[in-house]
Amino acid sequence: MSAPTALERARELLGEFPVVDGHNDLPYALREQVRYDLDARDIAVPQDAHLHTDLPRLRAGGVGAQYWSVYVPSDRPGAVPATLEQIDCVRQLIDRHPADLRAALTAADMEAARAEGRIASLMGAEGGHSIGESLGTLRGLYGLGVRYMTLTHNDNVAWADSATDEPRVGGLSAFGHEVVREMNRLGMLVDLSHVAATTMRAALDTSTAPVIFSHSSARAVCDHPRNIPDDVLERLPANGGMAMVTFVPKFVLQAAVDWTAAADENLRAHGFHHLESSPEAMAVHRAFEERAPRPVATAATVADHLDHMREVAGIDHLGIGGDYDGTPFTPDGLSDVSGYPNLIAELLERGWSRADLAKLTWQNAVRVLSAAEDVARDLRAIRPPSNATLASLDGAEG
Amino acid sequence: MADLQDELHPTTEVGALDELPEPFVVAAPAPSPPDPDASPLRRARALLAAHPVADGYCGLLSALRGLPWYDLEMGESALDTDVPRLREGHVGALFWSLHLPEGTPAERALSATLDQLDLVRAVVRAHPEGLRSADTAGEISDARYCGRIAVLSGPAAAAALDDSLAVLRSLRALGLRVLTLSGTSWASGPGLTRFGEEVVREMNRLGVVADLSGASGATVRRVLAASKAPVLCARSGARALRPHPFNLPDDLLAALGAAKGLCMVPLAAEQTGPSVRDVADHLDHVRRVAGPASVALSGTYDAGVAHPQELGDTSGYPHLVAELLERGWPETDVALLTWGNVQRLLRGADFAARAAQLRRPPSTATLAECDG
Repeated sequence: MSAPTALERARELLGEFPVVDGHNDLPYALREQVRYDLDARDIAVPQDAHLHTDLPRLRAGGVGAQYWSVYVPSDRPGAVPATLEQIDCVRQLIDRHPADLRAALTAADMEAARAEGRIASLMGAEGGHSIGESLGTLRGLYGLGVRYMTLTHNDNVAWADSATDEPRVGGLSAFGHEVVREMNRLGMLVDLSHVAATTMRAALDTSTAPVIFSHSSARAVCDHPRNIPDDVLERLPANGGMAMVTFVPKFVLQAAVDWTAAADENLRAHGFHHLESSPEAMAVHRAFEERAPRPVATAATVADHLDHMREVAGIDHLGIGGDYDGTPFTPDGLSDVSGYPNLIAELLERGWSRADLAKLTWQNAVRVLSAAEDVARDLRAIRPPSNATLASLDGAEG
Repeated sequence: MADLQDELHPTTEVGALDELPEPFVVAAPAPSPPDPDASPLRRARALLAAHPVADGYCGLLSALRGLPWYDLEMGESALDTDVPRLREGHVGALFWSLHLPEGTPAERALSATLDQLDLVRAVVRAHPEGLRSADTAGEISDARYCGRIAVLSGPAAAAALDDSLAVLRSLRALGLRVLTLSGTSWASGPGLTRFGEEVVREMNRLGVVADLSGASGATVRRVLAASKAPVLCARSGARALRPHPFNLPDDLLAALGAAKGLCMVPLAAEQTGPSVRDVADHLDHVRRVAGPASVALSGTYDAGVAHPQELGDTSGYPHLVAELLERGWPETDVALLTWGNVQRLLRGADFAARAAQLRRPPSTATLAECDG
């Protein structure tokens, strides 16, 4: 009998310590593709043609808990109702697939789901625009089950700067700090993916609970504003939080970053906005891609980030946040949610121990949520719900 | 120290005789001693103790917005509603209105309603000795047996849905129980659109009760036809007695009665008149036209309206019930009016919801698909 391959060992390990993934945009894909017609995209059967995510592939990928993103765009009105629709979508998915999914609101729920062999389903809101500048609405989202909120998406909010927008308040405004404190009081994790480095540092200054990066990699390995600078990674041990490495090629592979910049420049040179997806713009983009093939990331690219992040933040502060169905392109070997074993196999070959990998896939994420619950329990005893408003803290100017 | 105390009640020495009381003399029956227990106000209080008031519309949340500090348990002079006066008035359950201040922009309606739902939780949590959140008829009874006043969330404005059934489901998950069907493109003067009917069916499936006060006659008729669950009018009197847009004409009262719905008569001078007798006239009329199983009460306290004399705050209900008893209402009908009808309505809504959930998945209908 030959020794088990790295992939076999990875699968065996994931059987015991499945993946907690920090960010999956399946709800938004269902919203955009079929307007929540869940029969048209039945995730109980393979949906390879349309989605990165379905139940058979989640099972094959060894996923044991998923933070479903209830993302809505930040550049148009109606974010609060749209967010409630996204939450309703997740609830319906859970209701439709009770043998595979289990609603999870706490770390204990995650462990219970693992014991039952179901996939713990948590929710994360992606951007402060989802609370309509109201802490009452923030508490409403918590009441509906949202357990993390990314402070911004690609655009600034009035109280926090995004990594991909012009700096405005220099991190967090006074109200932004209050949002962080209220999230601590509730037990909703503060997610610092997408935010400016100044916002990361400001949130780490204020938060008394562990923070997360639901889908961000290391800026020292690949210089992109969506990644985490080393000085911030270094603060995670003291904070107790975690960085969940993302797979998005244009964030993790320097060649892909450069290629994307050139492709965007090419679009602008032809008179299009770089995010435009009209047929004309796509034709220009395809012509560019034929001249210059898109660089391909692999599981090794992601492992390079993890090696570095482990060096800087430590093994207790790492996790995984694939961003599946939130990005059109994925690395080779990690092309959909069935790919996690390939990443674990790569890390095994690099000498990561079984204990290290258990922390990466499962234990750190459970510990972080549990610690946030502990902080919330203490804070609720001494702090009433905050009714601060943007106007009361940041002035009429906002 | 006990031996220093004087004996307050000296006992008879052993062997001596106890003093016997004077022999009991049977008095001749008094000609007609007025039995104090029979006064209408006493009878009203006794009846309310057994069948407290379930009040269909309380404006407390919006009134609290203007108060930086308040304590409902100690008593709050700036309000019509506080725990001592609720207890004095024998109020056992309150529907807290989540309606928004006039001029709230449509795009803020949902966020403002979420804030109201959040405030319900905060206020109830801040008064654990007096208030308890409840959603079902059973939970209301539980609250009562624990000596707490039950608080239900709603009615809310239909504008909060932002024309989305998924938003309706999320609001239900946060405790919303009653939704007022007016002021939207799908529930307006001409009646319900197709999307409006789908909203009613989804409300039935979720157990969200329709409030039709202020809805057009056409809307009321369409909802009565479309709804599988009983509906209510959270603040409507009889238009035959007093013209007011929220008051119901007799044909709608009869239709509401036939559909086992509830007309909750407001204690609002503008709608009913300035005296207890005026309110009782409306109750008499609604009871006669819609039936004793379709009439209930709606305090409309702290909702910015003037109240009839003797009904100036939530402690006044016994005066109203006394008036009804003097008018010869049977106690069983009074019990339905104050408590029983609301219990039946909520049980009916929950029953309809369970039946619908077996049959219907969550609706994905959109305004654009239904109404073009």
